[in-house]
Amino acid sequence: MMKRWMLISLLAVIGLALGAFPAAAAGADTLVVVQEAEPVGLDLMQNSIQTTMSVCYNIHDTLFHPQEDASVLPALAEKWEKTDDLTWKITLRKDAVFHNGEPVNAAAVKFSFDRVSKEGMQSPHKGKLLSAFTELAVVDEYTFTIKTGKPYAPGLYILGYYLPIVPPKYVQEVGDEKYNTDPVGCGPYKLSKWMRGEEIVLERFDKYYGPQPAYKTVVFKANPEEASRVASLLTGEAQVASAIPVHQRKKIAGSGKAYLTNQMGVMPYLGINTYEAPFDDVRVRQALNHAIDKALIGKALFGGKAIICNGPISPRTFGASPNLKPYAYDPAKAKALLKAAGHADGLDVRLAYPTYMSQIQEQAEAIAANMGKAGFRVTLEPYERAVMWERYKGKKHQLYIYWWDDAPEPDRYIYSLFHSKSRDYYYKNEAVDALLDKGRTIMDRAERAKVYAQIDEMLYEDAPWAYLYIVPEVFAVANDVDYQGRRDGFLNMRYAKPKK
Amino acid sequence: MNVQALRNAQLFDKIEPRLRYAGETMREVARRPSALVGGVMLVLVLLISLGFPLFYPIDPLEQDLLARFTPPAWQDGGVWVHPLGTDNLGRDVLARLLHGSRVSLLVGFSAVLVAALAGIVLGLVSGYYGGRLDSIVMRIADVFMAYPFMLLTISVIAVLGTSIFNLILVLGLSDWVTYARTIRGSVLSLKEKEFVEASRAIGTPHRVIIFRHILPNVFSPLLVLGTLRVANIIIWESGLSFLGMGVPPPMPTWGRMLAEGRIYITDAWWLVTLPGVAIMITILAINLLGDGLRDALDPRLRNI
Amino acid sequence: MLPYLLKRLWHTVFVIIGISVISFFFIHLSGDPVMLMLPADASHQEIEALREQLGFNAPLYEQYFRFAFRAIQGDFGNSLYYKIPAMQLIIERLPASLELATAAMIIALVVAVPIGIISAVRRGSLLDMGSMLGALFGLSMPHFWLGIMLILLFSVQLGWLPTSGRGTLAHLIMPSLALGLSLTAMFARLTRSVMLEVLNLDYIRTARSKGLRERMVISKHALKNALIPIVTVAGMQFGFLLGGTVIIETVFAWPGVGRLVVQAIFNRDYPLVQSIVLVLALIFVAVNFLVDMLYMYLDPQINYFEDK
Repeated sequence: MMKRWMLISLLAVIGLALGAFPAAAAGADTLVVVQEAEPVGLDLMQNSIQTTMSVCYNIHDTLFHPQEDASVLPALAEKWEKTDDLTWKITLRKDAVFHNGEPVNAAAVKFSFDRVSKEGMQSPHKGKLLSAFTELAVVDEYTFTIKTGKPYAPGLYILGYYLPIVPPKYVQEVGDEKYNTDPVGCGPYKLSKWMRGEEIVLERFDKYYGPQPAYKTVVFKANPEEASRVASLLTGEAQVASAIPVHQRKKIAGSGKAYLTNQMGVMPYLGINTYEAPFDDVRVRQALNHAIDKALIGKALFGGKAIICNGPISPRTFGASPNLKPYAYDPAKAKALLKAAGHADGLDVRLAYPTYMSQIQEQAEAIAANMGKAGFRVTLEPYERAVMWERYKGKKHQLYIYWWDDAPEPDRYIYSLFHSKSRDYYYKNEAVDALLDKGRTIMDRAERAKVYAQIDEMLYEDAPWAYLYIVPEVFAVANDVDYQGRRDGFLNMRYAKPKK
Repeated sequence: MNVQALRNAQLFDKIEPRLRYAGETMREVARRPSALVGGVMLVLVLLISLGFPLFYPIDPLEQDLLARFTPPAWQDGGVWVHPLGTDNLGRDVLARLLHGSRVSLLVGFSAVLVAALAGIVLGLVSGYYGGRLDSIVMRIADVFMAYPFMLLTISVIAVLGTSIFNLILVLGLSDWVTYARTIRGSVLSLKEKEFVEASRAIGTPHRVIIFRHILPNVFSPLLVLGTLRVANIIIWESGLSFLGMGVPPPMPTWGRMLAEGRIYITDAWWLVTLPGVAIMITILAINLLGDGLRDALDPRLRNI
Repeated sequence: MLPYLLKRLWHTVFVIIGISVISFFFIHLSGDPVMLMLPADASHQEIEALREQLGFNAPLYEQYFRFAFRAIQGDFGNSLYYKIPAMQLIIERLPASLELATAAMIIALVVAVPIGIISAVRRGSLLDMGSMLGALFGLSMPHFWLGIMLILLFSVQLGWLPTSGRGTLAHLIMPSLALGLSLTAMFARLTRSVMLEVLNLDYIRTARSKGLRERMVISKHALKNALIPIVTVAGMQFGFLLGGTVIIETVFAWPGVGRLVVQAIFNRDYPLVQSIVLVLALIFVAVNFLVDMLYMYLDPQINYFEDK
C-alpha cells in the first residue's frame, strides 16, 4: 500500500515536470532584465506605469530622444524648425520602417497623433498632449507641421516621451485592445512573445534605422520581492535588476558579480494641507521644514548619495534658484516658530505615506522621529496605492509623502504639482499660477530659467511642502554588462552593451 | 464541508456529559511533560511580556540613525548597550522584541476571542434552535468557508484601513466558522441527551439550558481549538505585514519586524532571525500546551 | 441520493451568490480605480469622463445587477488594468496555481503520512517525539521567511536551484517546499492522531488477536480508516492553497492566480477581483463536493441524506 502510494506520487511529480515548459537558455546574446512588476500592456499610448513604459520604450520609438538637460536629439524626426511661435515644421528620416514593414511617414505620424483624441481611446497621456497641441498637418510624404494653442516651450520634449508612432494599417486591422498585447512599433526591439505572468521576450529588429543594439534578445521578467531580485542577479539568472535599495550596495559590490548604477532619479516630498489649521499658518510650515534632518537621513538611509533639496525644483534641473540654501535642521528654531504660532505645547499631526514606495517605511519613521523632537506628535498612516491616491484627491491628508521623478523639464512637474488648474487639493497661489503660465510660453531657455527661479524662491518661502531630497534610483547590473541607467529611470536596453 | 461538522457530532455522541473541574484538568495537563513544558514556556513569555519594563526600560522607538545595523553584543562591532543589536533606524532590537511581544500576543489572543465569541453565539443558536435559523447560519458559514481567506482579509482591511483593532476584528471574523461548526456539532448531539431533554421537559427556559448545561460541555473543544488557533493568527499577522497590511508602524510587532527585517537578511541577520525565533518559541509553547490540553480534556479531539 | 445532490446544488448557488455580493461590495467600497488608471497630472474633467465611461457613476446595486446579468451569460468583463478579458487572464494563470498547490500537497502527503503512521505505531519513541517536535517547528515558521531562507541556501549559496519563476521541475521545488512544509507538519500530526485513534478501535484489536501480522493490520485495516479524515482535510486545504499562495507566489515570482488577485485588489481592478474570487470559490466548492463523495465511498456507514 505504502509503496504504491509513493510510486503514484512520484509519477505525478514527473508528470508535472514534463508538462512544464523548458527554460529558455540564456546565451551571451541574451540580456535578462528583472523588474518589480510586470507590464500591464505594451502600447505606450495606453499606459503610464513606469515598469510598463520601460518595456514599451524598447519597442516603440518617438520623434525625439529627450535628453537629461531637457533638450531633445533627433530620433524619427531628422530636422525641425519653428515657422512661427505656434508651429513646428518637422521632417522625418526616410529609412525608418515598422517591424511589419510599413513605412514610417508623415501619414503614420498623423495617424498616431489623431489616435490620441480618437473616441474610446483611454490614453493617460491625452491630457498632456491635447492641452498643448491642437493639430497636425501632413505637408508631404516625410514632412508635417504640428501646432500648439499657445507658445509651448517643452513641446518637443513632451512629444519625445509621450507620442509613440504606430503603424496605421496594423492598428486599424487589429484594434487598440489587441495592439496593447501585440504591438508593432518602430523601435530597436520587436516583441517576440509575451507569456503573461512569466516573461516578455524581445528580439533585435534588423531593419532598425538607428545603431543596432548590442544584445540580440532581451527578456523582461518581473519579481516583486526585492530579496529574490537580488538573488537572481547574484546567481546569474538576470543581468539587470530594478528598484534596488542603496543598502544593498555593499553586498552586491562585495559579491564580485554585479555593481549598482549611480543613477539618481526620485524626489520624495512631504506635502502639507495648507488650507486647514494649523498648517494654514506659514510659520508652522516653516517649523516643519526646520524639523527634518535631511542631511542625516540622506547619509544614513541613502549612503550619503541623496541630493538635498532647497525648494521644489530639483537642484539638478534648470530653473532651480541659485540663491537658495536648504532649510537648516534646527529643532530649537522649529519650536520657537511653533510657539510664535501659538502651539507652545506642540501639535498632534497625521502623516500619510504610500506603502509601495521604495524605502518609504524607514524614511517615514525617521522623519516622524525628527518631527517629534520639534514638538510635532506624529501618527503615521500607511496606505496602499489606491487608498493613498483616493484620500489625496479627496483632500483627506494633513501631511503626506509622495514623490515625483526628478524631471529635467521644470514645466513637467512644477506645473503639474503646483498649478491650481492641475491640482489645487492642498495649496493654491495665484502669483505662482501666473508665473507657471508664463514660464511655459517663453522659448528662450535662459529667460525661462529666471521665471522658474522666481517660482522656486516663492515656494521656498511659502513652504507648501517640507522639502526633502533627491534619492538614487538604482539598478543592479551584472559585471559583464555595461549599463549606466538614465535620469528618467526607464530601462531602455538599446543603451546596454557587453563589457569588454 | 458539513462532513467535518458531522464528524464532530459523531465524536461527541460518544462523550459522556460531564463537567470537568479546573483542578482536575490542571492535574491532567500537568501529568504530561510536553504540556508542562509548553505551559511553563508560555507563562514565561507572558511574564516577560508583561513585566519587562521593570528590568529593561528602553524606548523601542528611540532612533539613532548613525548607529544603524549594530550587531548583537557578542559579535564584532556589537555593544552591550544594545544586547541584541539595532535595526535599520538604529532602534534597540531587544526593546522592540519585548514590546512586540505584547502586540503580537494581544492580536493573537484577541482575534481568537472574537472568533470564538462569534462562533459560540452562532453555533449555539444554530444548533440549539435548528430549523430555518440553522440553515441560514450554515449557508453563511459556507460562504465564509469558500471565500479565500487571504482575499477577504485584504479587501476588508483595504476598506477599513490598518489598525490593531481592525486587524483583530478581521482576523477574528474570518475565522469564526470553525468554532461555529464545532459548537453546533456538539450542541446537536447534546440536545438529544437525557439530561438536556429532562431539563426541557420540566420547563427550564432555553437560556438556562444553554448556559447551565450546554455551554460547560462544549467548553473543552473550544479551549483546545482556540489555543491552537492563537498560533495560526500570529503567523497570519506576519503574512499580512509582509503584504504591508499588518499593524501600522511605529508600534513594533514580531510579524512586522520579521517582514521588514527580510529586506536586510544578508546584511543584518539578526533583524529577521530574532523575531522569527521569538515567534517560533511562543508558537511552540502554545502548540505544546494545546496538544496537552487536548489530550487531557478530550482524547477524541485529536484531529481538530 | 438525488434530493441530496439537488440540495448541494442549491447550497452551491447560494455560496456563489453570497460570494459575488460580498466581493462586489467590498471591492467597490474600497475605492475607485479611475484615478489609478490616469497619470498623476490628469485633470478633474478627465477623471469624471473616464468614470462616466466605465459606468461608476450609477448606484452600486445597479452596477451589481449589471455585472451579475453579464456574468450569468459568461461575460465577466475586461480587466481594467490589462484591458483584456478577465477570464482569459485567469485561465492563463490557473495552471501555475494548480501545479504549485498540487506539488505542495503531494510533498506534504508523501512525507507526512508515513511519518505520522510510524509515529503512531511507535508512540512515545524517540522517533515519534523527534518528528512531532519537528512538525511543531514546521508549523511555527512563516512561509515567506522559509522561502527567502531556501533561496539564500539553495540558489545563492549552493547554486543548485533557480531563484524564481516557473518552467522546469527545478523551478517548482523551492516554492512547493516552502508552501508544503507547514502542510507536512499539519498532516503528520493529523495522521498520527487518527492512527492512534484507529489503532485503539475494537476491530483492530480483533485483527491483532487473530494473529495477523502487524504490518498487515496497519496497512490493510488501520490506514484505510485513518485515510477518511486525512482526505477530508486534504480537500479543504487544497481549496485554501489555491487562494492562499499569495505570499509564496510573491517571494518566488510564481505566475499564479494568488498574486494576480492581490495586485487586482490593490489596483481596484473590479472585474478581475470578482472573477477570480468566483473561480476560486467554485473550485473550493467542487473539491469539497468531491471529497464528500469520496468520504461516502470510504465510509458508507454514515447516512448523509438526512439533514443534520
